[in-house]
Amino acid sequence: MSQIENVHTKARELLESQAVDCVIGFGKGTTGGSRPLFVYGPEGVEDLIFDETCAHNLAKYLLNRKGKTTAVVLKACDARAVNLLLSEHQIERDKVYMIGVVCPGIKENGEPRDTCLRCGQRTPVSYDYLAGEPEEATVDAELQYKGVAEMEAMSMAERKAFWEAQFDRCIRCYACRQVCPGCYCDECFVERLDPLWVGIRIAPSENEMWNAMRAFHLTGRCIGCDQCERVCPVGIPLSLLNRKLEKEVYETFGYEAGMDPEAAPPFATYKKEESLGFGE
Amino acid sequence: MGVEFEPRIVGFLCNWCSYAGADMAGTSRISYPPNLRVIRVPCSGRVDPILIVKSFQMGADGVLVAGCHPGDCHYAEGNYYARRRFAMLRPFLEYLGIEGDRFRVEWVSASEGRKFSEVVSSFTNQLTELGPRATGAAV
Amino acid sequence: MARIGVFICHCGTNIAGTVDIPTVVEAAQNMPMVVYAVDSKYNCSEPGQAAIRDAILENRLNRVVVAACSPWMHEKTFRKAVASAGLNPYLAEMANIREHNSWVHNDKQAATDKAIEIIKMAVAKVSRHEELFPKALPITKRALVVGGGIAGIQTALDIANAGHPVVLAEREPSIGGRMSQLDKTFPTLDCSSCILTPKMVDVMQHPNIKLMTYTELEQVEGFVGNFKVTLRQKARKVDHAKCTACGLCWQKCPEKVDSEFDLNLGKRTAIYIPFPQAVPPRPVIDTANCRYQKYLDFTAEGREGKAPPKCGICEKICPVGAIDWEETDELITEEFGAIVAATGYKPFEPGGYTELGKGKFADVITGLELERMMSPAGPFNGEVKRPSNGEHPKEVVFITCVGSRDKQRGRTYCSKVCCMYIAKHAIMLKSHDPEVNCYVFNMDVRTVSKDYEEFYEQAQLSGATYIRGKVSKIRQEGDQLIVRGEDTLLGEIIEVPADMVVLAVGMEHSEGAAELAQKLHISYDVNGFFVEAHPKLRPVETRSDGIFLAGACLGPRDIPETVSQGSGAAAKVCGLLSQDFLTTDPLVSVIDKVKCAGCLLCQDICPFSAIDSETLRDGRTVSVVNESICKGCGLCVAACRFGAANLHGFTQEQLLAEVLALWE
Repeated sequence: MSQIENVHTKARELLESQAVDCVIGFGKGTTGGSRPLFVYGPEGVEDLIFDETCAHNLAKYLLNRKGKTTAVVLKACDARAVNLLLSEHQIERDKVYMIGVVCPGIKENGEPRDTCLRCGQRTPVSYDYLAGEPEEATVDAELQYKGVAEMEAMSMAERKAFWEAQFDRCIRCYACRQVCPGCYCDECFVERLDPLWVGIRIAPSENEMWNAMRAFHLTGRCIGCDQCERVCPVGIPLSLLNRKLEKEVYETFGYEAGMDPEAAPPFATYKKEESLGFGE
Repeated sequence: MGVEFEPRIVGFLCNWCSYAGADMAGTSRISYPPNLRVIRVPCSGRVDPILIVKSFQMGADGVLVAGCHPGDCHYAEGNYYARRRFAMLRPFLEYLGIEGDRFRVEWVSASEGRKFSEVVSSFTNQLTELGPRATGAAV
Repeated sequence: MARIGVFICHCGTNIAGTVDIPTVVEAAQNMPMVVYAVDSKYNCSEPGQAAIRDAILENRLNRVVVAACSPWMHEKTFRKAVASAGLNPYLAEMANIREHNSWVHNDKQAATDKAIEIIKMAVAKVSRHEELFPKALPITKRALVVGGGIAGIQTALDIANAGHPVVLAEREPSIGGRMSQLDKTFPTLDCSSCILTPKMVDVMQHPNIKLMTYTELEQVEGFVGNFKVTLRQKARKVDHAKCTACGLCWQKCPEKVDSEFDLNLGKRTAIYIPFPQAVPPRPVIDTANCRYQKYLDFTAEGREGKAPPKCGICEKICPVGAIDWEETDELITEEFGAIVAATGYKPFEPGGYTELGKGKFADVITGLELERMMSPAGPFNGEVKRPSNGEHPKEVVFITCVGSRDKQRGRTYCSKVCCMYIAKHAIMLKSHDPEVNCYVFNMDVRTVSKDYEEFYEQAQLSGATYIRGKVSKIRQEGDQLIVRGEDTLLGEIIEVPADMVVLAVGMEHSEGAAELAQKLHISYDVNGFFVEAHPKLRPVETRSDGIFLAGACLGPRDIPETVSQGSGAAAKVCGLLSQDFLTTDPLVSVIDKVKCAGCLLCQDICPFSAIDSETLRDGRTVSVVNESICKGCGLCVAACRFGAANLHGFTQEQLLAEVLALWE
C-alpha cells in the first residue's frame, strides 16, 4: 500500500474505534496545493492527501484541541514540534496520536523549499505509527547553517545594514508568530501595553525589537520548520535569525529542540563548570 | 565635534554581590568614570534578556550585567542560569549588528570594590573607543 | 495618580561636597509626577525623618524617593519613616547618590548630572511601586532532629528544655553515635560513655522528647514553620511497648555476627542491642542474619531443598511475648516547624592507601578500632592486643592524615581531630603499659583549641616520639611490621619496627548524606558535607529556611565544637518556634494565572522549589508561587516568556521604567 493509503487506513481505524475524535491532516487546497484538513468521522478520511505541497506544520493545531483526543499527520519537522509541545506540557501524550509520514521534501511553486533542502530528516523522530517506509537521515552540516555562516562572515556594519533593511519592511502583521508552533503565549510581549516592550508605531527600531525578541524567545525551542519565513508576506529571512540561535544552542549545549521530549532544554538546566565565555 | 563622546551604559547589578561591590568602591573612594547608570536587581538571574535588548533599542552604548561569582550566588544557582541566557544573547546581538563587546557580564563580589571600578573604567574606555552606536534602526 | 516627594540628602559634605544640591532639587521638582522636592542636611537624622513624615502629610504624597546613601545602609530606616506617616513602607525607594556617585566621582558637573539621572530612574521606578504587605503564617511548634549522636542529643535536649516538643530520629537501633564508640575524650581524658550516657538517658526520659530509633527520614514536604515529614520506622520485629529489656533474648540467641559497633572486632547476636548502654535498651532483630527469619523467608518463597533451622529461641524465651514476626516497616507522617540535621560523619576507609597495608596486615588498625580495643566495655575488655597474635604491642607507630590533607586522593581538608586523638592514644597506651613506645609520623601537629597544645606537650612528655614526615611503605618482617618513611627534619629515610600501626583516619561525610540533603532541599559540598547558609555569620543555618545543621555533618569537628553547634542550632530553632506567626518578606514572585501557559519551566529552575502546579477549573494547569518559600530571586520572571511571572519590588514594569527614564 502507498503511504497515503496507509494514512487513510490508520485514520479510519482511529476514528471508527473512537480512539480519537479528530484526525488533523492535509487536504486538497481550493486553489491547488494543500490545506489543513480536520476529519471528524471515518467517512472523511479519503479526503486526506499527502504530497510535496503539504507545507503546513499541523502541530500548531493541537494547541486548540487541548484535552481532546486527536490524531495528527506529521512530517519530520512537525513531529519535533509535537515533542516541543509535549516537553512544555502544552499537550498530553496520551491524547495525541502521531501519524508519521516520510517527507519527500516540500516544494513551493515547483521549487524545493530551502528548509527542506537543508533538512536531512525525512522520517519523523517520534511517531505512534509510520505510514511510509523509513529513510535514513542525511545531515549535511554545511547546508544546515547555510546563510548563517555567510551572515557571520559579514562585517558588523554590513550585518547591521542587512537587518535594518529587512526589519524596515516588516509590517508587523505577526503572521510569523501565528503560524509558529512554539508561539502560544496568551498575550504576546509585542502586544502588551504595560510593560510596553515594543512601541505601537511601525518604526525600524520597534520592528527590530519585535523581531529580535520573537527569535530569542525561541532559543532552544525552534524546531526549524521555517513556517515563519514561509508565511512572511514581505519575505524577511526569519530562518536566518532562528537558525543562528539554533546553531549557538547546538554548539554550546549540544541540544536540539524537539528531538527528545525528556531532554532538559538549555535554559532549564546548567553546569557549574561551564564558564560560557564569562570567566571569573 | 569638540565634545568628546561619553558612552551611556546601563548596568544591572545583583543586590547581594555587585551592587554591594559598587557600594564598596564608594566607601573606599575608588573613583571611576560616571557613565554607568545602575539598576538594582536581586540576582543576575532576574535580568530578563528583553531588558538588555530594550536598553540597546533605546540607545544604550553598552549594557553591563554584574552578579555574584559562580558558586557564590545568594540564591545558590541564579547566576548559572543567567550565564546560559547571556551566552546565547551575546552572539545573537552580534548577529544583529550590535558588537558583542557592548554587552558585558562580570562577576563582582561584595568585597571587590576595586574590581568593580576597574570593570566600569575598562568598559567605559572600550565603549569610547568603539564610538557611538551607528543609529539607524535605533530611533 | 502618583504624587511623588523627593528628599535629597547632603549627608553633610559627603554628597553636597561633590553634587550641586540646589541644581538637583530644581531638576527633581521638574520631574514627572514629582510634586515636592527638598534637600536636607541629614535625611536619616531624627529631624530629617520627621521632615519626610511631615512633607508626606502636608503634600499628600503617596510615593517617596530618598536620594541619599545605599539602600544597604538606610532602606529600612526610610521605609519606617514613610510608614510613620501612614504610607505603606514599600512605597519608598532610594536613589543611591553617595556610594555610587559622590564618593566615586570628583567632577562636580558630572556627579550632579549623574545624581539627577539616578533620581529620575528612582522616580520612574517608585511611580510603579505598589503597596505590599507581609503575610503571617502559623507555625507548628515542634522540631525534628535527625541524627542521635552527640550533636542531635544536645540539640534535642536544649530545644526540649526550652519547652518545645522534639522528635529525635536515629537510623541505628540506639542513639549515642560515634561518641559512644570512643573510650576517652581529649584533652581531659574523661571517659566518653561516662559523660555521654547520662545525656542519652535524659533524652529517653525527657517529657518533651519523642525518641524514634531505627528510623529514617523518607520524605519532606512543606516549608519553614510547616514541614510535613514522613519517617520510616524500620521493622524491629520486637514490640518495644511490651519489651522490658530483660536481656534474655540476646543472651540466648545462637546466631553470632560481626558487631558493627565494635567495627567487626567483636561479635553480637542477631537479636541485639548495639552496646550495653544503648538507649533505648530494647533490642531489634537483624533480619538479614536471623535464623528464624531466614526460615520464614524460605517457606514463604516456597523454595526447594533443605529448609534453614526453625530457630525462634527468642520468641520462646521472651517472658512478655514481645517478639513480633509480623512487624513491617511503618511510615509515620508528622508535622514540624523546624528540622535539624545532625547526621555526623563516618571514619575514612583507608583501603585505598595500599602502601599502608590496611586489610593486608592484621596489625594495621584505625584510630577508631584502637578506641574499641581500649574501651573496657569493648571486645577486648580494654586490653590492647595485636590482632595477629593477641600479644600486647610494645612498639606502636601512628600515621597521621590518612584521608586528610591529601589532594591526590581527593581529600583536601584537615579532619581536625586526628592530631589530638593520636596524642590521647599515645598517652593512654603509655599509661596502660609503661613499656610501650609510641612513634607518630606526622605532617604537622595542629592544636587549635583550648588546652590542646598543652595536651600535645603531655603526649610528648609521656615519651611519644613525633617524627615529621610521611610514610612511604609498610612491610612485614618476621612478626613485626617495618614502617619506612621520611624524617623531613633530619632529611633522611628511616625505618621503624612496629608491633602495631595505627592509622589516624580522617572524617568523611556520613552514609547517605547526599540523599538526605536532596530530601531536605539543602546543598552539600564536593566532600559531601552539608553547606551552611553563611560560613561565618550563619554557621548552623541552611539556605532553606527552617532547616538547621549541627556537628560533623557540616565538616570535621570535635566534640566541644559539635556540642556548641547543637546548642546553637537549638537556639535558632527556639527562636523560630517561640514566635506565634511567621512574617514573610513581601518581595516575592507572583504568577498571573491568566497569562501562565503552564510550560512549568519556572518549576524546573526555582532554586527553592517554591513553585507548584495548580489545576484550574477550566482544566488548565498553571504555576503558583508559594510565597512563604519564595526568596525573591526573580529567576522565574526572567525565564517566563508569557510575562506571567513577576517579582514584587523588582517588577518588569519597574525595571523597564528605570531603563526608559534614561532616555526620556
